[in-house]
Amino acid sequence: MNLETFEIRVLPTKNKLFRFAFRLLGSSEEAKDVVQEVLIKVWNGREQMAEIQNMEAWCMRITKNLSLDRLRSRQRRATDPIEQGMEIKNETLTPHERTENHENMERITEMIAALPEKQRQVIHLRDVEGYSYNEICEILELDMNQVKVSLFRARNAVKEKFLKINAYGL
Amino acid sequence: MDSKQIEQLLEKYWNCETSLEEEQQLRAHFRGEVPESMKEVANLFRYFEVQQKQQVNHSEFDAVVKMKIKQHRPDGKVIKLFYNYGRIAAGLAVVIAATYFVRQEVRKAYPTEIADTYSDPRLALEETKKALLMISKSFNKAQKEASRIKVFNEAEEKIQGKSLDEPKDQTTKI
Repeated sequence: MNLETFEIRVLPTKNKLFRFAFRLLGSSEEAKDVVQEVLIKVWNGREQMAEIQNMEAWCMRITKNLSLDRLRSRQRRATDPIEQGMEIKNETLTPHERTENHENMERITEMIAALPEKQRQVIHLRDVEGYSYNEICEILELDMNQVKVSLFRARNAVKEKFLKINAYGL
Repeated sequence: MDSKQIEQLLEKYWNCETSLEEEQQLRAHFRGEVPESMKEVANLFRYFEVQQKQQVNHSEFDAVVKMKIKQHRPDGKVIKLFYNYGRIAAGLAVVIAATYFVRQEVRKAYPTEIADTYSDPRLALEETKKALLMISKSFNKAQKEASRIKVFNEAEEKIQGKSLDEPKDQTTKI
């Protein structure tokens, strides 16, 4: 792989990698560091990666592993700096949308952040990024059953929350 | 899409039976106006869409990565090449040194005895004959000595014969 193919095939995945790392780490600064680390890792290991078909899934997998390494070394929860996350996310919205959506979006962010790690990963990859089940298996190194069960549990946890909100008129 | 279809699709979504296309349809649907009862679900799908637009908020990001990559490249390769060739060279050096010393030792232990001693073929023939004769002479001598072993054989046979006869003698005595 030369620099040109790297720029075409690997570099454009940076936003996806960033979002995934951010979902796991909850900090945009750290997510950015992880993405940088991933890209450099991919470049340095490019000789061995020549035969990899799905470069994007491969990058996502490295992102997951590096993010989890960081989480473990810090021994802290990824859900802490939610505020920071909101800030970045809202940069892409107009001021009008921002005020309208802020509360709702924050609530959903909290809901998803409260999910167990695996469910959070799966719901992010499927519902935010729109990956196929096969790709999710590849990224998370899980089998199809585990992925489907995690997604089912994640979606149902969200649904339960909605039902509660509706029932109590929150 | 009417509300019934949407409800069916949503039910499928909660059960994780929707395809990616159907999930995109849901997203598209919830972009528009929705009834009050669907507000929460609509927010969820809008949330997913908003999240997907999130980007690395660093204008220099690509440049930084490319710079780091370029820094990494040269010395990474040089070290690797040196490492591989270095290993081969070191291995060869050890083998060559070892064979050299072993050869020297062997030469010291067994000085060369066989060398061309005769330049005249006839003389060489004479000398060879002499040597062969000497061998055959001593061979004959050895054969003569070896024939004496027969004496032992005979003695052994006699003893065996006797030992076979003995019990008979004893029984007759008794």
